[in-house]
Amino acid sequence: MSAWGCRFLRLGDPLLRGACFIVGRSAPATKSSSHCVQFVRTIKSTTWWDEHLSEENSAFLRKAIPEEYNSQTASKLNPLKDEPWPRQEWETASRRVGLVALKLGMMPIWTKTGERHVATMLQVLDCHVIKYMSKEVFDGKTAALIVGAKNVSPFYKSENSMEMYRNAGFPPKQKLTTFRVTDNAIIKPGTPLYAAHFRPGQYVDVTAKTIGKGFQGVMKRYGFKGQPASHGQTKTHRRPGASGPGGDPGKVFKGKKMPGRMGNIYDTASGLKVWRINTKFNIIYVHGSVPGHRNCLVKVRDSNLPTRSGKTENPPFPTYFTDGDEELPEDLYDEAMFQFGDPSVSLA
Amino acid sequence: MAAPARSATTAICSLRALRKQYDRSFSTSLLRLASEGDSDQPPKFTPPTKPVIIDKTKGDVPVRRFVSPEFIPPRQRTNPLKFAIERIDMIQRRNILNIPEFYVGSILSVTMSDSHATEKTNRFVGICIRRSGKGLGATFVLRNIIDGQGVEICYELYNPRVQQVELLKLEKRLDDNLMYLRDALPEYSTVDFNMKPVLPPVSGDVPINKLKVKMKPKPWSKRWERPKYKVLGIRSDLCLSAEQMEEAQKWAKPWVEYDMLKEYDTSALEESLWQEVQKGTSK
Repeated sequence: MSAWGCRFLRLGDPLLRGACFIVGRSAPATKSSSHCVQFVRTIKSTTWWDEHLSEENSAFLRKAIPEEYNSQTASKLNPLKDEPWPRQEWETASRRVGLVALKLGMMPIWTKTGERHVATMLQVLDCHVIKYMSKEVFDGKTAALIVGAKNVSPFYKSENSMEMYRNAGFPPKQKLTTFRVTDNAIIKPGTPLYAAHFRPGQYVDVTAKTIGKGFQGVMKRYGFKGQPASHGQTKTHRRPGASGPGGDPGKVFKGKKMPGRMGNIYDTASGLKVWRINTKFNIIYVHGSVPGHRNCLVKVRDSNLPTRSGKTENPPFPTYFTDGDEELPEDLYDEAMFQFGDPSVSLA
Repeated sequence: MAAPARSATTAICSLRALRKQYDRSFSTSLLRLASEGDSDQPPKFTPPTKPVIIDKTKGDVPVRRFVSPEFIPPRQRTNPLKFAIERIDMIQRRNILNIPEFYVGSILSVTMSDSHATEKTNRFVGICIRRSGKGLGATFVLRNIIDGQGVEICYELYNPRVQQVELLKLEKRLDDNLMYLRDALPEYSTVDFNMKPVLPPVSGDVPINKLKVKMKPKPWSKRWERPKYKVLGIRSDLCLSAEQMEEAQKWAKPWVEYDMLKEYDTSALEESLWQEVQKGTSK
C-alpha cells in the first residue's frame, strides 16, 4: 500500500523555516505562486486491520469471523442443502481436478523389502473448489476449476478478490490455483476436497515456487565447473569462463547461462509416487522431495507423464466425497510400503 | 515345661528380630518349635511361610522417567502436527520392537536382517558414540574394534530391518558425543562380542562413567581440544602441552552460554511426551 502525499514548502514563511508538513490529497490546495510544491511518495507498507477500530469492535470481529468461517464451511458438508451435480464415469482420457496442499516436511519410509525412501508430507487443509469456469468462459478448449486452500484473514484481502469468495460463500484462501479438467470431471463450487482424492500407488505432479536463493553465480545456479583453486589462477575460481565463440558469430547467443536471480520460480516435480494417505489428518505421503519451503502451498495433480498417467484405474471420480458409500480406513498404504504396526522385516 | 517353652518363645522372638535383619537368608522352619511346646499331641504339619523378599536397597525412589531424545522436536518453524504424526508411527514401531533406554556411552547389541549374511541376520556389539536425528529418522552409531580395525555402524532406530536392540550395559560418559574415540587408543572402544548383559538399575540416576581416555598422538580427525567440541573425557594433560591448550582457547566463545535466545527448555515438553508415549505403549 502506498500513498502519494503532497508536501508544501513555504519558502518565505519565517515560522516554518526549513520545516515541511504533509497534507493529504483531500486537503484544500490553496497555494500562491510563491510556494514551492513538492510531491513525495510516502510508503505505507503495513497497516493493522484493526487500526481504526475500537477495542470492542475488533474483539467482536475476532470472535465473529471464525464462527462465520466454520458455518460457511460446515454448510458445504451437508449434501442435502442443495442439488449436487451429476457424477459421471471415469474414462482413460478424463482429467481430474487436483489439490492444493501444505508442505509439512519430510520423513523416511521403508518398503516391505527393507529399502529406505524419503517422502514428503503434504497436508490438505481447507481445500475447496471455489469456482467453475466452463469451456467458453475459460479458454475455449477446456473447462477449468479454481481450487483454494488454507483459510486466511479477510482483512488483508482487497475488495476485488473478496468478491469472488463472497460469491462462492467461502472464507478467503491463501492460495488459489486453476486446474484444467475434462467436461465429465467438473465439480460443483463449494465441494471440499480431501487427501483421499489421490490413492496410494498412483503418481502425481507437484508444482510450487522454489526457495529463493537471491543473486547467484554460475556455479551454484547452473552447476558450472569453475576453475581450479590453485595452479596459478589469478582471480578466476568461480567465474563462467568463455561466453561463446569468437569472430564468426561475433555475439553472445541468447539464453547464455549467466549469473542472476536463482529460485523463487514455479517448478514442477513430476511423476512422484503416492506412498500413503492419512484420511484422518488429510495427509499425502509423496515420494522424494517437492519444490518449495516448509509450510508453503503446493499444487498436486495426477501425473502428466505418459508412462505414469495411466497407472490408476478408477480413481475416485470426479473426486472423493465423504457422503459416498466408501468407508475408508485411517491410513491407506501402498502395497509395497512397510507399515509400522507390522513385525520387523526378515529377509529370507 | 513352662520354662523351656518360655525360653523357646524368647528364642523365637530373637530369631524373628534376626529374620528382620537378614530378610533374604533366614529360613522360617524354626517357627515350628512354638507349636511343639504347647501340646502333647504330635505336631500338625504347618508349611513354612513363604519368605517375602524385600530389597531394601531400592527404597522409594520412583522409576526413572525417560523420553528418548528423538521424540523431542527440534526448535524450528515446522508445523507441530508433522512431529505429532511421526510420533504415532514411532510409538507403533516401539510396540513391536523393544527399544531400551540408552545413552551415548552405553554398550548395545543390534541384530539386523541382512540378505547378504549367511544366517540372514547380522549382530553387532559396540559402544554408542553418537545419537542424532529427530523423529523417524533418528540414528545412533555403534563403534567397536574388530581384528584391530575400528568399525562404526550407523543404525536407524526405526528401520524395520532391525530385529532386536539389546542393552548390554547402561551408563553415561562425561560427553554427549564420543566421536573422539576414533582418535583414542583402541582399548577404549573395544567391546567383547560375547559380553554378558549387566542388569541396569530401574530407578535412580543412570551411572556416569567418569573415564578419561588416552589419545593417540596428533594429528586427530578433529581438533578435539577446541572449545566448540566441549570434550571432557580426554586426558589432555598427556597429549597436549600447556601452550597448545592455551592456543585452543583462542576459539572460545564464552558469551554463548549466556545467550538466552539459544536456551531450549524441554522439561515441560518431555513431561507431556512421556505421558503420550506411556499411553501409546501401554495399549
